[in-house]
Parts: sequence; C-alpha cells; structure tokens
Amino acid sequence: MLNYNSTIIEAKEYSDIKISEVEPTLKINLRGKNRDFVTKIGKELSIILPTDPNTSSGNKELNLLWLSPDEWLIYSNDKNNLETINSSEDKLFNDISKTKLGSVTNVTDHWIMINLKGPKIFDMLSAGCPFNFNKFKYSKGAVTQTLLNHVDVIIHNKDINNLNLFVRRSFSNHLWLWMNDSARFV
Amino acid sequence: MFLINCPYCGERDQSEFSAGGEAHIVRPKQPTELSDDQWAEYLFMRKNIKGVQFERWNHSHGCRKWFNMVRDTSNDKIHAIYKMGEKPPIK
Repeated sequence: MLNYNSTIIEAKEYSDIKISEVEPTLKINLRGKNRDFVTKIGKELSIILPTDPNTSSGNKELNLLWLSPDEWLIYSNDKNNLETINSSEDKLFNDISKTKLGSVTNVTDHWIMINLKGPKIFDMLSAGCPFNFNKFKYSKGAVTQTLLNHVDVIIHNKDINNLNLFVRRSFSNHLWLWMNDSARFV
Repeated sequence: MFLINCPYCGERDQSEFSAGGEAHIVRPKQPTELSDDQWAEYLFMRKNIKGVQFERWNHSHGCRKWFNMVRDTSNDKIHAIYKMGEKPPIK
C-alpha cells in the first residue's frame, strides 16, 4: 500500500521566502533508451522528451525532467487525487512497460514536492548546497540533482524565483526543518 | 575539495561523486583455470600510485552514471574525463 500521508502540514512564510508542500502530486519515473521509446512518450503525453542535460519540458498539467541520459521524471503541476494518479500510471505502464519499450515506475509516494518562492530562495539553498546557482537562477526550466544539507534533492527551476524541490519522503521532515531554520537567517 | 566535470551533467562539486577504484582492469577469460594467487591478484591488487592514475568514478548524487577519469593523486589535478567503454585519451 502506498503511503500518501504527508509529514508536513503547514506552509511557512518568511520575509523573502515562502515554503509550501504540494502533495499529493503525480510523479512517475521513466527509463528507456531507444528511439521508439522517445517517440512513444512524445505521443503519449504530447510533450517532447528533453534530451539535453539539465533541462525540462512540459505543458499546463505535466512536467518532464531530465535526470540522466536514460532517465526522466514526470510530475504534475497541481494536486491530484489517487484515482487520477493510478489511471495515468496504468496507461503509461500498459503502453511502455508491457510492450518492453522502457520502464515506468510510480514514484508518487517516494518523492515529496516542496515549492519555494521568493527573491532569496537561492541564498537559502546555497547555505547547504555545493551547486553553483549563478546560471541556474536565470534559466527557466533548468533541472539539477544535487545535495542539500547532505540530502539528495532534485531541483526544478519552474519560473524566476519559483522552484520545485523533490526530496525523498523519509528525509522530507528533516529537510523541511532545516529549510525553515536557514530561511530565518537569510 | 575540487570540481569534476561530469560527462553527462557538467561541472559539479566533488562531494556529489564517489570514487570507484582503478579503471581498465580486465577480468580473466577463464577464471576456473587460474590459481588462487592469480585470482587474488585480479580481485584485490591495485596499483595505488602517487602520480597520474586511471580511475572509475560515479556521479552518485547526480545522474548516477559511471565514467573514467585520469587524475594525479598527488595534487588532484584532473587530466582527462571520458565515458565508460571509451579509450583513454592520454597514455
């Protein structure tokens, strides 16, 4: 049984930073290598699979993040109910996993999505992250996987000063507390 | 601390990577015909030299891909980085 219960309840607001959790959202991990897989995903979601490193693509509902040369993450912008999540997974699973084009894994309960907003979010992240945000800050749609306070995270630059951060469920509460703590000092 | 240019993701901090030991060690074709000494030689014995060394690295907190690196172990100067399966660009 998937665990959709969230550990984080309230959204927090500081002078230049706003932190809120967006859950439950649909998240699906995709793996595949051949050309058929790439075209099939494009048709299935009507989004072109990003093949350039550290980039993303998307439409109103879904985002596709590049994670590795043969790995991608799909996530939805808005909150979903369980039925929508399961039916979207089933559709992709039947068309891609069952036809052996690639692999589809539902990681909805694996990642927690945290939305960060405000002019000082990058100052807050830099307090515990070795990644250089200088270029990343201004490139809309950029994606990076890095460490934040020793915890693995995926960061998607949604818009200027508006980013989505993915953290593993078991680390989410710890990272949430750390972010709130460091947000008070920037 | 130093920066490593991952062949897939670009320049990242060393803390995102993990070292995977010496590169280009060929597995013996007929392990059953080897003596224990020869097998141990393949399995455990590494050069671990001071100077330019060929190594395997993994971008474990990024794209999770393996690649090869030519690094000077005395001063951490990186001479070359190339993908798995490619021939080393320098000797």
